[in-house]
Amino acid sequence: MKFPNWNQLAQVGEQALGQVNVIAGRMLEGTLRLGVTGLRRSGKTVFVTSLIDNLIRGGRLPFLDAVASNRFLAARLRASPDRTAPRFPYEKYLAALTATPPHWPAATTGVSQLRLAVRFTPGSGLRRSVQPMATLNVDVIDYPGEWLMDLPMLNQSYRDWSALTLELMERQPRRQLAARWLHWLGTVTPDLRPDESLAREGAALYTDYLHACRRSQASLSLVQPGHFIEPGDLAGTPLLAFCPLPAGSGEHRAQSLGGLMNERFEAYKTQVVRRFFVEHFARLDRQIVLVDVLGMLNAGPTALYDMRMALTACLEAFHHGRAGWVSRLTGHEVDRVLFAATKADHVAAGQHANLRNLLDMLVSEARNAIRFEGAMVDTVALAAVKCTETVTTEHQGRKLACIQGTPLGRQRPTVLFPGNIPDGPDLFPENVSQPYRFLDFEPPAGVGRDGRGLPNIRLDQALNFLLGDYLA
Amino acid sequence: MSNATHQASAWQPPVELDMHHPDPAAAPAAVAATTAAASAAARAGEASGLAALAAWPQWSWTVPAFFGGVAALVVVALAFDATDLMGRSFAASYALGVLVTVVLAVTVGTAVKLSLDEVISIRRLRQIDGLRAEADRLTRANGHGEALGFADTLGDFYAGRADLAPVLHTLGHTVNDAHSDAEVIALIDRQVLSALDQRAYRFVLTASRDTALATALSPSAALDVAIVLWRNLKLVREVAALYGARPGPLGSWRLMRRMLANLAVAGLADSVGHVAVDALGGSLAAAISTRLGQGMINGLLTARIGIAAMTLCRPVGFSPDNKPNLKRIRAELMSVPKEVL
Repeated sequence: MKFPNWNQLAQVGEQALGQVNVIAGRMLEGTLRLGVTGLRRSGKTVFVTSLIDNLIRGGRLPFLDAVASNRFLAARLRASPDRTAPRFPYEKYLAALTATPPHWPAATTGVSQLRLAVRFTPGSGLRRSVQPMATLNVDVIDYPGEWLMDLPMLNQSYRDWSALTLELMERQPRRQLAARWLHWLGTVTPDLRPDESLAREGAALYTDYLHACRRSQASLSLVQPGHFIEPGDLAGTPLLAFCPLPAGSGEHRAQSLGGLMNERFEAYKTQVVRRFFVEHFARLDRQIVLVDVLGMLNAGPTALYDMRMALTACLEAFHHGRAGWVSRLTGHEVDRVLFAATKADHVAAGQHANLRNLLDMLVSEARNAIRFEGAMVDTVALAAVKCTETVTTEHQGRKLACIQGTPLGRQRPTVLFPGNIPDGPDLFPENVSQPYRFLDFEPPAGVGRDGRGLPNIRLDQALNFLLGDYLA
Repeated sequence: MSNATHQASAWQPPVELDMHHPDPAAAPAAVAATTAAASAAARAGEASGLAALAAWPQWSWTVPAFFGGVAALVVVALAFDATDLMGRSFAASYALGVLVTVVLAVTVGTAVKLSLDEVISIRRLRQIDGLRAEADRLTRANGHGEALGFADTLGDFYAGRADLAPVLHTLGHTVNDAHSDAEVIALIDRQVLSALDQRAYRFVLTASRDTALATALSPSAALDVAIVLWRNLKLVREVAALYGARPGPLGSWRLMRRMLANLAVAGLADSVGHVAVDALGGSLAAAISTRLGQGMINGLLTARIGIAAMTLCRPVGFSPDNKPNLKRIRAELMSVPKEVL
């Protein structure tokens, strides 16, 4: 018989208390926690900014049913109920996007959250007679995408994790990227004395390897532990001073380097990963998974494969399933998951269907697993901030669907044919070394100046899938 | 996707076409041919089953020739009679002659005007059929770029409608280059036509209450028939005018014929089931009063005809999630007995 440890008990208590609060709140106002999930550079921050801006202004959401039927009244920001988490600096990000010249917000380094209160008229006459004006609180959180990669570690022991990580390193390009750390690994054995400086040296080299993975041509996604890359407020603490070690025979001895690493791994799991998961992900109602498909196509087949693995691993940590009234009272389950291919404006609009098909193909395993659990799943190709216009131009006597926008780092707009997305499974033709070159674009000048919200592609359809039934 | 289509659209390298500095050297020379998949498959579904069922029967040339001949003879006879009449009235007195000439001119003028209106109204009905087929094709093919043309055509069709100007203006703002054809059609459906649907629905509701009440109160069966016919014809004209068809007497008669054919042959998707349910519900009321029961059944029939008119006059076909249903009308009709008693 296995006894739950105090940490877990405290956690259960905390969750139960939170649950009571949630139920009390629901008597008066609906609350929905929206999980914006995505690996790094998938556009979470910009997505959240655009979502908030568009809900506040409400001028560009024709496919959101509440807006289409004129039941949407207004939305405004509120303080997050969680007083400890920093506020999502929406105004700062919006200012960056609407500045002259406009620029993208910098990469996220820590957790922040925000509550958006949406006022609407209920659709059913019965509810309208009781409550002429209803409020839905939408809680969104933003966090560095690197941290998402920690979630699969929750179900792994130090031995399993080390074995998996070392196995990954046997293949190129990781093998070459990890050369220096592997060299260090050759000089140590797990049975050595637990030496702090040795542990720190290993962790530093391992962190270098992780950084190299991210920066590499293949732009690898499966980069664990995520806090090594983006430490937040943990930089320099012993929590981050460990790295995988090959398992000898049996458990690592307590008074050894392996034992020390094992201990720190477990501490990292409970004090960093579990805390993050419980505070932010355990009570999600809806989830959107942002995937930068175009970036992965640019980076090549290795990156695509790596991303697929990373996504499947992360999503296993979430509870998906139909949120009936029982599960609403007893615990939360995500009952709708939307996979979104972001940055859809980097290709001509006629390619969006192919982009969505490609996403369908990439997430098919994760999607089936979630559907099996009973949650609704859909896919969409969207752009949180639309930076280009689709134009048709003549090129060598042929009509090409091109896009017009300012590529990143340039001053003036240009017209370019970004290439097509194949509609079949043969993504990478063998005779071409780098078949895709989808450029990133600057936010268009004067964006959002018309006061209707940031221009977007299919953000309204995504919102309708995610929030539509709460706004009924 | 089949492998064949994938082979056909060969891989194509990215090219930058700078609009300020056209520099052909910068562009790779090999731009392989890609032609969008032909929309032939989508066209196959163009001929709507309902419309085909309800079309005029195919006659051989003899029948039109016969009726044409008769009409020509009648016109010639009328012309002879008219000149004869004019001659006789001028012979009787100059004033009478002038009067008869004026009356004749007015009659001929209005006849020409009426038939012109009729031709125009029938053309508009055809136009609506064409628009609906086009919208259906665009939704099914779900390509890109063609639907903006459709939106323009629809804008032209509704040009001069002051009540639709604001929604059409909003539509122009909402639709952008990133929307696919199916999305543009869906936006037209939601933003422009749903407002019309609401109003059409009210017409249908009023008409069905009118027939229900009137037939419940009318003393004779012959009067019932007259009331139902008159009210239904009026309803069809109202609904058609709302969607921009503006039918004349002949046009509304044709519309009525097509609708009756639809009701009788194909019916609305749910007609069989609902007729049974309606009849049962009716018989319950009939137990209380036969007249009331008849009234309600007449009301429901009127509602059915109204909804068929909506379906036939709408430039974009109803999608499964905004299909009009009889539920609300039935609930409304249930209150009729209370009002009568």
